[in-house]
Order: sequence, then C-alpha cells, then structure tokens
Amino acid sequence: MNKTKEKNVPMIKGRSYWADSLRQLRKHKLAMYSLSIIVVYILVVMFIYLASWTKTDVSFLDWNQTVGKGYEKPNKQNVLGTDFLGRSVLRKTIYGARVSLTVAFWASIISMLIGVPLGAAAGYFRGFIDDIVVWIYTTLSSIPYILLILAFALVLRDKTLNLNWLGLDAISLSGISTVYLAIGLTSWVDICRLIRAETMKHKQREYILAALSYGCSNSRIIFRHLLPNVFHLIIISFSLRFVGFIQAEVILSFLGLGEKNSPSWGSMIDAARLDLPKGYWWEMTAATAAIFLISLALNIFGDALRDSLDPKLKVQ
Amino acid sequence: MITYIIRRLLYTIPIIFGVLVVTFILFNIVSGDVSDQIAGKAASAETIKEIRAEYGWDKPLFLSWDSQFINHLKNSLTFQFGRSWSDRELIITKIKQGALPSLSLTVPMFIGELVISISLALIVAFLRGTIIDILSVFICVVLMSVPFLSFILFGQYFLAFKWGLFPVYFWPDLPLPQYVALPILIGIVAGLGGNLRFYRTVMLDELRNDYVRTAFAKGLGTGSVLFRHVLKNAMIPIITQVILAIPFLFLGSLLLERFFGIPGLGYLMIDAIAARDFQIINAMTFIGAILFVVFNLITDICYSIVDPRVSFE
Amino acid sequence: MRYCFCAILLLIAGCRYSANNPDPNDTVLYSAHSAKVRGLDPGDVGDTTSAIVASQMIECLYQYHYLKRPYQVVPCLAESMPAMSGDGLVYTIKIKKGVRFYDDACFKDGKGRELKAGDFVFAWKRIADIKYLSKNWWIFDNKIIGLDEFRQYSKTCKTAADVDYNTPVEGLQTPDDWTLIIKLKGRPWPQIVDLLAHLPTAPMAKEAVDYYGKDIINHPVGTGPYKLKRWHKGSYIEMVKNPTFRDEFYPSEGEPNDIKNGLLADAGKKLPLTNRLVSVLIQENPPLWFLFLQGKIDVSGIPKDNFSEAIDLRQQLTPEMKARNIKLFTFRDPSTYWFGFNMEDEVLGKNLPLRMALSCAVDRDKYIELFTNNRGEPAYGFIPPLMSSYNPDIKNIAQTSYNVQKARKLVKEAEQIYGSKLPTLTLAMPGTDIVFRQEGDFLKRCFKDAGLDVEMDYMDWPTFQNKIKTKSAQMFTLGWIGDIPDVENFLQLFYSKNISPGSNNFNYSNPEFDKIYEKASIMPDSPEREALYRKAEEIVVKDCPAVFLVHGVAFILTHDWAYNVKPHAFAYGTAKYRRVDEAKKAAYSELLRTLK
Repeated sequence: MNKTKEKNVPMIKGRSYWADSLRQLRKHKLAMYSLSIIVVYILVVMFIYLASWTKTDVSFLDWNQTVGKGYEKPNKQNVLGTDFLGRSVLRKTIYGARVSLTVAFWASIISMLIGVPLGAAAGYFRGFIDDIVVWIYTTLSSIPYILLILAFALVLRDKTLNLNWLGLDAISLSGISTVYLAIGLTSWVDICRLIRAETMKHKQREYILAALSYGCSNSRIIFRHLLPNVFHLIIISFSLRFVGFIQAEVILSFLGLGEKNSPSWGSMIDAARLDLPKGYWWEMTAATAAIFLISLALNIFGDALRDSLDPKLKVQ
Repeated sequence: MITYIIRRLLYTIPIIFGVLVVTFILFNIVSGDVSDQIAGKAASAETIKEIRAEYGWDKPLFLSWDSQFINHLKNSLTFQFGRSWSDRELIITKIKQGALPSLSLTVPMFIGELVISISLALIVAFLRGTIIDILSVFICVVLMSVPFLSFILFGQYFLAFKWGLFPVYFWPDLPLPQYVALPILIGIVAGLGGNLRFYRTVMLDELRNDYVRTAFAKGLGTGSVLFRHVLKNAMIPIITQVILAIPFLFLGSLLLERFFGIPGLGYLMIDAIAARDFQIINAMTFIGAILFVVFNLITDICYSIVDPRVSFE
Repeated sequence: MRYCFCAILLLIAGCRYSANNPDPNDTVLYSAHSAKVRGLDPGDVGDTTSAIVASQMIECLYQYHYLKRPYQVVPCLAESMPAMSGDGLVYTIKIKKGVRFYDDACFKDGKGRELKAGDFVFAWKRIADIKYLSKNWWIFDNKIIGLDEFRQYSKTCKTAADVDYNTPVEGLQTPDDWTLIIKLKGRPWPQIVDLLAHLPTAPMAKEAVDYYGKDIINHPVGTGPYKLKRWHKGSYIEMVKNPTFRDEFYPSEGEPNDIKNGLLADAGKKLPLTNRLVSVLIQENPPLWFLFLQGKIDVSGIPKDNFSEAIDLRQQLTPEMKARNIKLFTFRDPSTYWFGFNMEDEVLGKNLPLRMALSCAVDRDKYIELFTNNRGEPAYGFIPPLMSSYNPDIKNIAQTSYNVQKARKLVKEAEQIYGSKLPTLTLAMPGTDIVFRQEGDFLKRCFKDAGLDVEMDYMDWPTFQNKIKTKSAQMFTLGWIGDIPDVENFLQLFYSKNISPGSNNFNYSNPEFDKIYEKASIMPDSPEREALYRKAEEIVVKDCPAVFLVHGVAFILTHDWAYNVKPHAFAYGTAKYRRVDEAKKAAYSELLRTLK
C-alpha cells in the first residue's frame, strides 16, 4: 500500500491481495463514478442523521414545510414540484434516502450478524452444530421468500421486543425497524450457506492445519484466520444484495408495512397510486429516479467489486 | 438407488417439521388474536369467548394432546386449513381457485422470460467484449434498477389507458390471453435485466471450460461451438434453475395481480395481509414450502438417475 | 428470436379495444366495488359492499321509497305498514301472499317455494344463535320477549348442530303463514320499522341453511329481482333477472324535480329494468378510474382521491368529463367522521380545554378540500345535516370552529390544568396506506400550528379495533354511518352503558345525557323527540369527547346511458330501478375516438 516503501523495496510483486484488488478497482472508471454516487447518498444520509442529533435546522431537510401550493408542477422554485400539501418533492426525495439506506444498511448488518457466525460455526465444527444450522436454513429457504418476508413484517409490526433479559430497554417496533428486521431476519440464509461452504473448503487448507497444530483455540482460528480469508465474499454479497433490500422496502411500503411518519421512496411511489390518474407524475418520477440512480450505482460497483476481489469469478 | 430415494424422502421430514414450527411461531404465537375483529361492532365479551372457542384459540399452546400446536400439525398435514375468518370461506377452496389465474399469469411470463433471456444471452455471449455486449449489460443493470411498482404504474397508464394497446384491467368474458397480456409483458420486461445477466454469466462460465478451447482449436466456428456445445452444457444449471422456480410460479405476483385484477393467489395474499387473515398466509406458506421441497426432491432424484457421478451416500 | 417478437406483436395486436356487448336486447349494468364481497348470507353481512350486492337478491319486509324525500319506508315483502298495539309493544305484520323464493337447488325439485312468516322467525333466531356468531345481534339485543333466552339456550348447546330452532320464542309468533306478531320486552322500539328494511332482518329459508351448511355465504337464496349467476370470488359477480320475481312496479310519484330530471319516465313499468348486473372488484384507483373513462363501468362512486380530476373547485365536472357526457350526482350521506378522545385517558379525560384546543386546531375546510375535494360539510356535532333532528346552530353551541389563536390560548389553559408542559399525544389511524398517511401528515401539521405535539399511530383495522375495545387508544379516527334514518343510531354511541368493548368508544359517560337518551330512544318520531335529540347532542358537544370533523357527502358519477340514477342514503337494493341504453353506450367508443 505504502508508496514510499514500494520505491525502496525493489520487489513490486509483493502487493497484498487487497491492495491489488483496490488498484484494479480504481482503474475501473465506471465503478469509480458509481462509488462517488454511493458516497454522495451515504453522506446525505449521514448529514440528515447528524442534523437531527445536533438539532440543527437545515432548510433542505425540512421536508414538512409548505413551499407552495398543492400539486405544483416542477418549476423554477420547486425543481421537482410539490406534493398534495405543497411540500417540496425534492426535499422529500432527499430525505427519503434516509429510510431506504437505513433499512438496507441494518438489514445487511442483521443478516450478516446471523449468517456469518452460523455459517462459520457450521462449516468449522460440522457434526451436530452443522446439522442444526443446515436444518434451520433449509427450512427457511424452502419457504418462498416473498411470503417469509411478508409474514415477518406482518407479525413484527407494532410489536414490542422485550430485551430485558439482555439488560436492554424494550424496543417497540414501528415502520423502519420492522422493515429492516423483517428483511434481515429472512435474508441471512444465502450468506450463511456461502460462508459455510467456503469455511469447509478452507478448513482443509494447510494454513488452518498449521494453526491447529500450533494449538490455536477454535475461536482464534475462526476469527483470526478463517473469517479474514472469506471476508471478500461477505463484501461482495453485501454490495450485490443492498439493491434488493432497497427494492424490498418499496414493496413493503406499498403493502402498508413500511415507514409511515417520514418520507420514504416507497411511500412516494405508493402515493402515485392516487396521483397518477390525476396526472401528477412528478413525485413518483422523483422517487423512481432516486432509486434508479442508487441501484444503478450499486449494481455497477458491486459487479466491479466482485471482479476485482474474486478474480476466479471474473467474467471476461 | 432406492435406498437413496428413501433416504432423500426421510430427509424431507425434518424440513417439513421445521416449516410447521416456523409457521406456528409466526401465526399462532407472535401474531396475536383477531377475535375482536371477527365479532364485529358492538360485540359482547361472551361472543368473543365463543369465537375463541370456535377457532380453538382458547386451547393451550403446547403441552397437551389437544394443544394448538398439535392441531396446527394435524390440520396442516391434512391440508385442512379451516375457514378464512374474514369471509367464512374454506381456505383450501380459495387457494385452489386462485392457483389457475396465478399460473396463467406466471407460466407464460416465466417461459417468455426464459426463452428471450437465454436467446439474448447466447447472442450477447457470442458478441462478448463488443460494444453491443457492454451496452446490453448496461441496459440489464438499468432495467434491474427501476422499481417494479413503477413499471406497473407507468405501463398501465401509458400502454393500456393512453394508447389503448391493451385492456386496462380484467373484465368478465374477456378472453384470458387479452387481459393477462400486459401484465405478462410488464413482468417480462421488469425481470429481463436480472435474467439476461444471469444467463450471460452462465454462458461465459461455460465458455471458459477446456472443451471449448479444444473445440475452437479443432477449428470449429464460433456459432457451432456456442449452439452445439455451450448451450447443451449450460442446460444443466438452466434446468435446475427452471425446476426450482416452478413452485414459486404458484404464488403468482402480488402487485401485477392486484393492479390488473387477476384473481390469483398473489391478490389473495394482499387481501389477507390487509385483513390480518393469518390463516390464509399460513396455508400459503405451508403449501409453498411443500411444493418447494417436492420439486427439490424431484430434481435430486432426476440428477441421480441422469448423472451417475452423484453419490448415493 | 424473431418468432418471439412476432408472438409479442400478435399478442399486442389481438388486444385492441374490443367492442361492447353485441346483443342490444340484453341490457347489462356494469359497476365496480372497491372492497371484497365477503359473503352473501344476510344474517352475517356486516360490510357495505356485501350488503349492496346481497340487497339486489334478498328483500326485507320493508324498503325505502326510491324517489320520495325525506326518506320514507314503504312495504316490500310486507302487505302493509305494521299494525302497532296501543302501548307500542306488539307489532302485527301481514306478509304479501304468493311471493316465492327464486328457484334454487336447495328447494324440492329446484322450484322456489312460497315465502312464509316462519322464514322471518327462523332468520332472526339464527341471528340470536350464538353459535352462528352473527355480527348483527345488536339489532335484536334485549328487544323481543324470549329471543335473549333463546340466545342463552344456544350458549348451553355443545355445537352449532345441537341448537334446536324449534325451541319456541314467545315474542315471535306466526298464527298463520302470512302473519307475523312481534312482542317487545316492555319497552317500545320505534326504530323497528327502519330496521326491518335493513338487510340482516331479511327472511331465510331453512332449506337453504340445511342444504348449504356453512357454504350458505356463497349461495344467497332470496325473493329479490335478481338472482346470482356467477360469482368469481375476488374478481366479479354477475346477477341475472329473477324470472319468478313478483310484480313490482317503478314508483309513479316522487319529488317535484323528478319529472324534470326524467326520473319518472319509467313510472309503472315492471321491475327490474335491466337484465343483468355485473359488478367487478377493483381495489386500485388507477384502473378503476381508467375503466370508467373508457365507458366500461356505467355507474361509479368516485374513487375518493380522483375527485380533482372529476370535479373542479366550483363543484362541477371538468371540461374533459363534460365532453364525455358524464353526469355527477352528489348527496348527503348519513355519516359523521371524527377523532374520538378516550375519556378515561389521564391527560385528555379531565382536560376540557385541551380537548377543545384539539378541536379548534383542525382546519375542517382545508381538510374537506384536500381529502374530499370540497365534497363534505364541516361537522361540529354528530347528527348529520341529512337528519331531521340536525341542529343548524350546533356550530355556535360547540364553539370549536377552526381558530388557531383560540386553540393556542386553550392550550395554555390546558397546561395549567395538567400542571406542566403537555406530553405528546397519540392519534390512532385505522389504516396504513397512503390515504391515511396523507391525512395524518395534514392533521399533525394542524396540531403543530396550535402548539400541540401529536404523533400519528398507523395500524391495520383489526389492531385498531382491538386498541379501542381495550381502551388503550388515546385518540382515534373513526366515523359512523347511520344504518337507518333514526338518529338513535348515533346517540347510542355516547350512552354510558355502551362503554368499550361496547359501541361507546369514547368511554363517555354523562348521567344527564343518559337520562335523555333513555327517554328519547323509546319515543315514536315526533317534534318532542327531535327536541330531546338536539338537547342530547348539545350536552355531548359541550363535553367535547371528540373532534367532529366532517359530514360525508357522497357522489355517483354516471355515463349518460344509465337512467333513473337517484342517490339514496339508506337503500342498497336500488339496481332494479336503473335502466341502460345499450345503443347510446355503443356510440360512446365513437365519441372517444373523436375526442382523441
């Protein structure tokens, strides 16, 4: 990584796997553009959170303010028009990034937190643990995904999670947290399966056998040796499934299972069911465009990431 | 061989049991009680008690031969899901009635998508590296990035209403091919991106095999290599994909059915969600899972017959 | 590849707009329902959509006169209006002779048998039978001698099959097949005639229940002008003319304007005037609206949120609609919508200024403009303007009209009573979809302007009901649509004996109101009763247990080929009066082409 070192040491060959991949990725122009789009979205969301934590008033975040008459067409003042209450569609679209990205982010984290340890444990220990894990995920994966996610969203809605036994306060689920819990709890199966298979492969490799012969503890082997070696798979899967999570939020919002108290892209598209027959197309178009842009960027970047991190999979 | 099939059959038992446990936890424990809703306006506590008895919600959850869990197992395995409480109709009848409309939407959609995306994938793989290939990959990603709901709303507004190319909605006595045409078209277009990309990868994976190099080395033309060898070999992952997708066809499409008035299982599901009719979702989940398990079994058995390398252990 | 594209092109080509009904003698009325038809068993019908569909096939003892206003009940299956004893406790009703159920497989040889008085007794015992779990027991609860005992008896039976319907009920007697005597439990029941025009009180043939069992929901057996032909659940329902329908004729008198509006052109003609009724289930707004504009649906209620396309702010049709010869009817609905307060709530219950502040904070006119497109009337009390006991002065009595300044002042007072800054309040909304969310956004803003923090809690209908029944909702959005013209229907919502889980969702209790209610609810219709009703409303309004928001105004949009469309607030079975001009309808597609 360090350039000065590279200069001093004559052997350039010894670049690490990650450095090599990053270099490759950086050469991919389209991927870099995509990355910058993603970064912009993330910065916007972080900014929204920051502003709300510090209680800063930022005008473009005040989506609930009336800026014009109801249902104004896109014009100079309101670039993307207004909604039924005369609120700026542009601000709603910007603010909507918060729900979508938060849902996708937490859903990914939850599915990883469940899938990765289970997969690693099953692949490493085999035996009884493996049987149980495989049983759970085969069961879940034999239930059609859309039904499973709906069922979870439906029963988790408006529930209060009692976390006293963990020493935490009870969490009452509503809108956003229901959505990411439902998505997260149902979508860990793929990653779990992937990690399990990969762990089984790696367990036969010399470096693990060596670590074993040194007398390393199981947890050390898993966390220090195994997981770092399969980590790129987690990143790839994360980046590719992020899009799916964003789209899932749209569907759940349409079914009335999503976030209700602040704008989300799903609910903006949902509003089109009322607006479109009247000819008010701009709110839906804005949300569609916002989803489109981030999905496009994630898809392209995810592909490039996969190509560079996993050369075996690289498609010529 | 037969022992393999028996073993494989036995293996499905814990899976089905697992599905039953999941549905029970979701729909009998977490979901809560809907007896107030059934009772309607101005109902007395007595009526509610009567309703709870009628649906068996007053029984213990586990720990009894007549517990809710045992009854859940019994009813599900015999496909006796009882009556929907929102309209007192037999749930199994509803599902039977909904299956055909759903299939008439999803089967043509599935086949159309398969044929179109595989043909396009072959062409694109044939032209790999050219501008057409890059462009088509880009278009795929574009198609994948548009929300499905937007496809439907715009499609219905422009194609059906503004330009009058299709019927807007289901209509009595309208021949089935007419009113499912637009939803099928929308479904195919919306799914094309992902599918084309998937099959292109399958084809290209196949192209990297040694036999392809050998074939080229033999001096065969690209076309002949692609169609004679590659497609044939790529058929195995494709067929697997196809068989495993079949059970999902029964579920129909939630949004398409709702917007185009196709009285299928997707529509049924949306209604059940709105009415909190958990028993319908429970039944659909169970049947969907059973179908999946069965088709999985069929695939495995077919493999073991066709491919002698599959071990029977 | 090429074949694929060809196939798609062919598919598209085959889908061009297809012509309407080819047979001009076969008249069909197409309509849409936007909720699922849940079941057509009259005893169990609890929702409007099912009631509308079932009412075309099933008749009651009485019905509303189609044209006359104010709404008037006239005999239907009954020979005449009921004879009432001097103390108002015994009603004797003669039933028309020779009325037949329509032909159905449940009868001997499939031929419909004659209607008997016993069919009513059977139907009502069925509603009383607790094993049947009818939603409509409230109609008969504590009214008829012996019927409550029958309900108790059914409770002791093990299963539904054990309930013996031959168990006599003293208050329901049939001296012969055409006479029905109803004896009341010592208290007059002036609403009875209105309720006997209400679908759940329709007769039921025992043969049908025995034959179909639980499947009776799918097989309505009635005496009405139409019978069920096809019912594709969750899709559409088709009814055809009942060939054995008794002689009933189009009314020959009505309101003065009816002649001018052509509503009496068919006077004296035998009903029904249309051969078939087709009602299609369309739950999404866009397709519903598109289909109406295409002329596929003849008569439509306007989907709530398409108002502004149909009607501009001066309450007229847009030029686009006019060019299509679309007609619009508006009429007052017997409905009132409100946010109720839970009077047992710690914060709200003891704080009248706070409740008033919430009421003053809501801009009702803006609400009506945004969510009903000016098709509603602001409400300050619960009695709808349509009812004769409506008090036009209620706005001044209530003192809760929209006034932000006043609301702010009241909030200050409320804070003093509460002792500190008011906590965030929660308003429960009975739905999660975009319609409710938009409403919630608007209301939140209204309250915010007055300095009140109100959170919206969106939930599905069952959860919502549960919350109200268990008194755990602080505020809730709800409304009431009167089933009958008698306002008692509204008053009972505030009666202290009906507190949750009963129908008094406000958990409101005021002894003074209770006294008036108990007195007025058993009085026959009279000016004195009206005065009492008004007095009762005044008491409620002053206690402010709810923000009364809007009285509904309903609409019907029709194409010009549908005749005899006159809106009716209470009657459901009105399709028999409607007529369709198929030739005019066929010409519409031409019109559409020229408009393009």
